[in-house]
Amino acid sequence: MCRVSSSRYLNIFSVTEEQLRALVAEGLSSGGSWCDLFFEDTVSSELVLRDGEVSSGGSHEDFGCGVRVLAGDKTGYAYAETTDYAALLRAARAAAAIADGMRVSGASGLQAPSGARPGPGLSATKVVEDGKAAGVVTGAEPLSQRPRVARVPGGLQPPVEDTSSCGYYTFKIDWRDTTAAQGVPVLRKLDSAIRAKDSRVIKVIAVLSHQTSEIMMYNSLGELTCDTRPLAALAATVIFSQNGQVENKTVSRSFRCGAEMLTDALIEELADMAVDGLDARFEARRPKGGVMPVVMASGASGILLHEAMGHAFEADFNRKGQSIFAGKIGKRVARPGINILDDATIPGNRGSLIYDDEGVPGQKTYMVRDGILESYLHDRISAGYFGVSPTGNGRRESFRYNPIPRMRCTYMESGIDGSLQDIIGSVKKGIFVKEFSNGQVKIGEGDFTFYVKAGWTIENGRLDMPVKDINIIGNGPRALADITAVAGDLKIDDGTWTCGKEQSAPVSCGIPSVLVGSLTVGGE
Amino acid sequence: MVSEQEKRLTRSCMEMALEAGAQKVRVTLSKSSMDLVATLDGEVDKVTACQDRNLEICIFADGRYGAFSTNRLEEAALRRFVGDAVQTTRMLAPDPCRDLPSPERQTKAALTGLELGLYDSAYEGITAADRRQQALGASTWPASGKGWKLISEEGEYSDNLEHSYVLDSGGLEALHTETCFSYGVEVTVEDSRGRKYSGYWWDSCVFGKDLDGAAIGRKALEAAVAQIGSRSIPGGRRTLVLDSEISYKAVSPILAALGGFNLQQNNSFLQGSLGKKLFPEGMTLLDCPHRPGENGSRLFDSEGVATSERPIIENGVIKEYFLNTYMANKLSLAPTQEEATRPLLLPYGSAGNREAILKLCGEGILVTDFNGGNSNIATGDFSYGIEGFEFSGGRITRPVSGMLVTGNFLTLWSKLIAAGNDSRPCKGKLIPTLAFADVDFSGE
Repeated sequence: MCRVSSSRYLNIFSVTEEQLRALVAEGLSSGGSWCDLFFEDTVSSELVLRDGEVSSGGSHEDFGCGVRVLAGDKTGYAYAETTDYAALLRAARAAAAIADGMRVSGASGLQAPSGARPGPGLSATKVVEDGKAAGVVTGAEPLSQRPRVARVPGGLQPPVEDTSSCGYYTFKIDWRDTTAAQGVPVLRKLDSAIRAKDSRVIKVIAVLSHQTSEIMMYNSLGELTCDTRPLAALAATVIFSQNGQVENKTVSRSFRCGAEMLTDALIEELADMAVDGLDARFEARRPKGGVMPVVMASGASGILLHEAMGHAFEADFNRKGQSIFAGKIGKRVARPGINILDDATIPGNRGSLIYDDEGVPGQKTYMVRDGILESYLHDRISAGYFGVSPTGNGRRESFRYNPIPRMRCTYMESGIDGSLQDIIGSVKKGIFVKEFSNGQVKIGEGDFTFYVKAGWTIENGRLDMPVKDINIIGNGPRALADITAVAGDLKIDDGTWTCGKEQSAPVSCGIPSVLVGSLTVGGE
Repeated sequence: MVSEQEKRLTRSCMEMALEAGAQKVRVTLSKSSMDLVATLDGEVDKVTACQDRNLEICIFADGRYGAFSTNRLEEAALRRFVGDAVQTTRMLAPDPCRDLPSPERQTKAALTGLELGLYDSAYEGITAADRRQQALGASTWPASGKGWKLISEEGEYSDNLEHSYVLDSGGLEALHTETCFSYGVEVTVEDSRGRKYSGYWWDSCVFGKDLDGAAIGRKALEAAVAQIGSRSIPGGRRTLVLDSEISYKAVSPILAALGGFNLQQNNSFLQGSLGKKLFPEGMTLLDCPHRPGENGSRLFDSEGVATSERPIIENGVIKEYFLNTYMANKLSLAPTQEEATRPLLLPYGSAGNREAILKLCGEGILVTDFNGGNSNIATGDFSYGIEGFEFSGGRITRPVSGMLVTGNFLTLWSKLIAAGNDSRPCKGKLIPTLAFADVDFSGE
């Protein structure tokens, strides 16, 4: 295992161990049951090619620290855009205000104030409970069995993993060691490669964006967790023209890795994606709308899982009783053999995390196993509420936000129902979808939608007419139960998926080719 | 307010860039504070306190352009940041179209930031207790009614104060200050069969005294209860009425298609439309950026260009593209403004509020919320998930959900029946209830 001392991160944020302890103590001073600190220094850069030239670019630095105090399952949050100690102290006092008037006497621990919902319990991490601590070190017992955490442990508890050279996002070339001069030829090559693929290309905008975040977290258990997170994307929006008709397409690839991602192979892959299916796009029409079987291609169709199921499995919605899946743990929600996961451990994946934003180790979480709803996606609050271990899904957009349960990479494991062609061949009349732009869900009702950029109608088991720009709507539990075929071709999509639940979070998704028995398709 | 020290800091940042070799510079200091109290089921669930400062610098050096920002405003960090910014800009390709706007186009009127009356002086006196009281005042918890119960109620009260201070090396100096008080409530109710329905309402205003939290909570609950029993109904061509809460969605793609960025890329369904009559006679869309006391009003855009009231579409004729200095130079056209600041659609078809429009239309589907969907800016094609109500004889008859509306924006607007007079001032776009004929709905 590769390790570094925590001193590197303490230096970045110009704070001392004693100050961390004092800040947490201040956060708890009004009676809060939990306090954590989230330090962040993110440097992001962007280069843009337009009309054949990389003529604009820029960078942004975002630096600060968020302080969260919990009183039961209620949250106080404040942040400072500096790590000046006086400013941090003010933030800790502001966050502590949530506990004003909520001081709980005695040492029974984590009890909510009178009349409030049960306390969250703030469970320790699964790693600790399993006795396999490898990164952060915590106490041995789950928090729910601990005395009230109005105390602050006596010292920081190393070791801390050096996440710059091991874990799920190993990077060889640190983006911060590169300059714009290295990105410029990459964008020019991408522009040329796309234009060389098809004479109908009239415009290309290519964008290289990357960021590196230094993260340091400290909490009232005395856990110090540090992480260095890269995230990069190469994307192109291409405009095509044919006989006066204009079409557009955006393609992208995004990874948690260093500048070594900028290869000729990646450029070629994006160029191929940009022109893939172009003839069909110019021929595509709106289908006749209505209810019909929908065959979803492997890869980006994972948006189905994100919208139809993933959000409804996020535990905050279930804790509040809002989700259509509330109270369904242990119940059958899909046919036997179907496994749906949310995974932070795929190397280089956009949604991967060595630690989530509460310091809980990244992990692989089965939400549905063999068709049975096994787990929601938890942050520490919801895990405490449900009396389970957090699943490493506590995420936040930046130090400006408190963490909430969010997805990472959501996918379904491969099935045994043959190939995509087998599934298409089984449909008499329906639709096949393969490219998407966005989706949405109504948590309570379970109604979800996703927007299809490209697909085909199916007639008598064969692809018939190309279609584009249609929305599809369904109901989560019904659609999940109605997945009647799962091929063996799981593919994770590495596009720049970003989830917008209250805050932005980079995620990804994947799925094998599947057949959903009936969804409502928009059309004429 | 923006302090003298902050003004000096902003100016010194511009000077640093000029010293480092930039020929022209624009610097924007943004500063805000926000307090938020969220409630869950009638109790305070979260309090948040935020203070933000951000400095953005646009560098024009040796015919090249870069845009950079940071929230690290200590002098040493800023000096390093500005030096790096100029160096990075020099690595980019020259672009002769990049320039500052000419000074005569820039505002001379934004001297204090208070000119539009967007500042509530009572803001500074608000206490934490006031905020909690305000937040809890919207709660209807624990409401229940015949055949339904309230499962969850989330509210969020916030007040914030924002300042921006813009300088450029051509002599621009402009200030903008704005307070905003807002409240949103989302409720989930459950019917006797265990089916859940959600409702949402939101409002915001410049002056805290104008915010009626109790009304917002009540409207959110009414919206959820009204959806009980909703289901998909058979699709077909029907009259579409778009509630003023979401009608901006029919206008936003038009504004995007008139934007220089999309026009320059030939990625607009309104390419070549300037001066052409593509919308119905009598349909007029104005930009009204100087409405006093309304959030969103502005005296200047991000380049410091003075905003003005003008038609975007007049009697169906396209009157303006949105062209900032860069896009105007790229397209060899005269610059206008970079976007519509406060678009206002005038009444059309002698209709008043939503109820009057329902009567006018007789039967069709009233859409009160969208569920996902998108549009294609190149073609104007769209498809959205919807929920709302079927209406007949001018009256709502049943709730609908799980349906889709699909079409093309130019075709849709050519079938405009009515635009009401009930736009909501809290919205960025002042778009009233709209009605369109012969729209494709898909359902069961």
